[in-house]
Amino acid sequence: MRDKLYKWIPWVVLFIVLIIYPHVAGIYYTNFFVRFAIYALFAVSLNLLLGYMGVLSFGHAMFFGTGAYMTAIVLTHIEGFPLLPAVLVGGVTGGVLALILSPLLVRVSGTAFAMLTLAFGQLIFVAALKFREVTGGEDGVGGYPIPPLSIPGIISIDMKDQVSFYYFAVVVVAICLYILWYYTKTPFGSLIVGIRDNAMRVSYLGFKLSHTKAINLIVSGVFAGIAGAIFALFQNLVSTIGVLDIGNCFLPLLMAYIGGIGSFFGPIVGSAVLHVLEFLVIRFTERIGLVNGVIFIVVVLFAPMGLVGLLRMVKERWFTRSANQMSTGTSS
Amino acid sequence: MNILETKGLYHDFSGLEVLFNINFQVEEGERHAVIGPNGAGKTTLFNVITGTYTPRRGKVFFKNKEITGAKPHRLARIGMGRSFQITSTFSRLTTFQNLRMGILSKRGIRFNLFRKLDKMKTITNETDEVLKRINLDGERDIPASLLSYGKHRSLEVSLAMSTDPELVMLDEPTAGMSKDETHTAVELIRRLTEGKTMVIIEHDMDVIFSLADRITVLHLGEILAVGTPNEIRENQAVKDAYLGEMEEE
Amino acid sequence: MSPTAVLYVSQAIHGLAYGMLLFLVASGLTMIFGMMGILNIAHASFYMLSAYFCYQVLQMTGNFWLGLLIAPVVAGICGILAERFLLRTVHKQGHLAELLLTVGIMVIILETVKLFWGTESLVVKIPEHLDGLLNFAGLSYPIYRLFIIGLSSFILGVMALILYKTRLGKIVRAAVSDADMVNALGINTPLVFMLVFGMGTWLAGVAGVAAGPLLTVFPGMADQIGMDAFVVVVVGGFGSLIGAFVVALFLGELNAYGIQFIPRLAPILMFAFMAIVLAFKPMGLFGERE
Repeated sequence: MRDKLYKWIPWVVLFIVLIIYPHVAGIYYTNFFVRFAIYALFAVSLNLLLGYMGVLSFGHAMFFGTGAYMTAIVLTHIEGFPLLPAVLVGGVTGGVLALILSPLLVRVSGTAFAMLTLAFGQLIFVAALKFREVTGGEDGVGGYPIPPLSIPGIISIDMKDQVSFYYFAVVVVAICLYILWYYTKTPFGSLIVGIRDNAMRVSYLGFKLSHTKAINLIVSGVFAGIAGAIFALFQNLVSTIGVLDIGNCFLPLLMAYIGGIGSFFGPIVGSAVLHVLEFLVIRFTERIGLVNGVIFIVVVLFAPMGLVGLLRMVKERWFTRSANQMSTGTSS
Repeated sequence: MNILETKGLYHDFSGLEVLFNINFQVEEGERHAVIGPNGAGKTTLFNVITGTYTPRRGKVFFKNKEITGAKPHRLARIGMGRSFQITSTFSRLTTFQNLRMGILSKRGIRFNLFRKLDKMKTITNETDEVLKRINLDGERDIPASLLSYGKHRSLEVSLAMSTDPELVMLDEPTAGMSKDETHTAVELIRRLTEGKTMVIIEHDMDVIFSLADRITVLHLGEILAVGTPNEIRENQAVKDAYLGEMEEE
Repeated sequence: MSPTAVLYVSQAIHGLAYGMLLFLVASGLTMIFGMMGILNIAHASFYMLSAYFCYQVLQMTGNFWLGLLIAPVVAGICGILAERFLLRTVHKQGHLAELLLTVGIMVIILETVKLFWGTESLVVKIPEHLDGLLNFAGLSYPIYRLFIIGLSSFILGVMALILYKTRLGKIVRAAVSDADMVNALGINTPLVFMLVFGMGTWLAGVAGVAAGPLLTVFPGMADQIGMDAFVVVVVGGFGSLIGAFVVALFLGELNAYGIQFIPRLAPILMFAFMAIVLAFKPMGLFGERE
């Protein structure tokens, strides 16, 4: 009973910190946190494919981007479109895109999968540039109304207020992350990891690979799309730069690796680390991209298990050492 | 009843002919060995039966229903299990998690997105029971890749049976094992295949003669002989083609 | 000649020029993949790096030919260094790690280029004697494009000669087809890897220099041709030079005519084609490597 209580304490602390944060940290850091949260969700959605299913989605920005664009477009053209559906629209769009691509994507893995997703990512980037009437081309879609969070007749919270938006975004991201965490703990989630280790065996055990992979792809697409939708609401401007370009494909990948692709929380840690890093580095140079690139190479070369992975390794060594000490009565 | 039967099976790989007019029969409940020199087509036969390949010509029947060209996952669902010559487990998952995958399939839990797997007591208990039965409960939480060779092979074979198939196809289960490991493995296989039908590819003659009810001898893609171990031992053609090699070992 | 005929011919020449450049880039890419099993995401980045080096040489000496000589070599050396010190270290971690590393290299080259030369487009002027039009049989051909076609053909001819008529070429072709076998035969495969990587990067570098005056030098110049090169390698077959040649020229023409007549659909058709090939024939139309 006491153990269970202990487990809950960090979460309660976190909850309290999150609530008082904007009042303590100020507007700038509040927005900073929102950006971290958006990318945490984006990176976790990527990791469903990378760490869990073992495939590199190199065009993942396309799910984020189509979600963001769809939310922006819907808010621009449909008057009075409410807040939550606007977020769901982004998620559904990401999921639909994944669904459309899945017949092709489930047939490949490894380099071919990376290539296909890269190609489709580029395709959508180019399409967004060319179909100006819909996407605004390079200028993008912007200045759309941000609907309030409202329950008719009861309450209406203005989402243009940055503190209110912070709470909204954090709650939505937290719920999404919980759903995804739970997803990885279900029997279906265990299948995904099986596919990573030995896809062939999974099929010989009686599971239809293509359906299983497709569902995981769609889940990943939906939540990347939701991240994009929140982004659209946050920025009030969606254009190709920083949304559909290759840079935005690289960021979640970098975050997942820094934090550790072998853990659910790794990408979240990675998003935090990267945002803090960017914040620190910006004081000295604008070339944050170069720093990111170097960090990525360093991580891949020397610490591919990421920070969470390193932590686990340290924990294991520490425990085996104390176990040895206890059993042999000496220090090893 | 013949639980498994092939009729006129022919297969080639881009012109390289591997199986000719194979009429292979396995009676329900028997332990049937497939032997033959390397290159005889044994694994190809397995691959055709278990859905890895669709044969160029001929048909395959399982429980009197045609299954030619059916995909592996479908065959697993209708009662066929297969182990691999080269160990093919979930290397980063624990022994427990490996077997649990098969148990989930056996119980038809394929798209459950709603319950926490670790909390599903029946699944956990059933998997633990299986672990005990195959003597791997001591290695429950060890990643498969860290198992000793013999235990890893045991896991490989157990994985094939984790879906509780009626027909178990084992491809050289004792490959690379020491004498002791082989002995343990044979006992395990005997115990686990009680009441099931088993087809086994093997090179180790001791294993075959201690396990098999009947033997099919394959040579250069054709069935050379079918019979009880004693009949095969006496068969001159078989001796010429194959057992002569064996005696040299 | 009628204006439409002129249009068709000039598009054909433009397509051919781009196709040849594309082949220069893709040939290195496909050989590297055939030999090492890595799809070098950063390959087109060396193309771009070389273009920037050439710009730099031009700034310092005003001599385009010097740039053509030096820049690809420098790019090739960078490629060799990347292979020797970065790629080789992750080799044991598997293909995914190698792929990721090339992504990292791509990002670093992109950011480095932006750091030293800024994000604006740089103008590299077509050298004087190559500028202008050649009039022949009633048509005008842009001389520079003809130069590109000529230069590429010359280099490819030399390459073909080396690959098919020399012992070294035989070793390289064998290594591209089956590196393990070559290693088993006692040949120093790491050295061959380095050589092929350097050569492939050098070829991309030459294309980069040649493309500079034509397509302008800017940080995004690697994207278009890089993607096209992947399409060429995928469709043409991993490790197949013939396949790469055929598809590169085809793609060059498709691009030229496509951009002219169906500007919006052109890139989509290309991707669709590649996606379908990848999904059903993962080794490419002409490829056979595992």
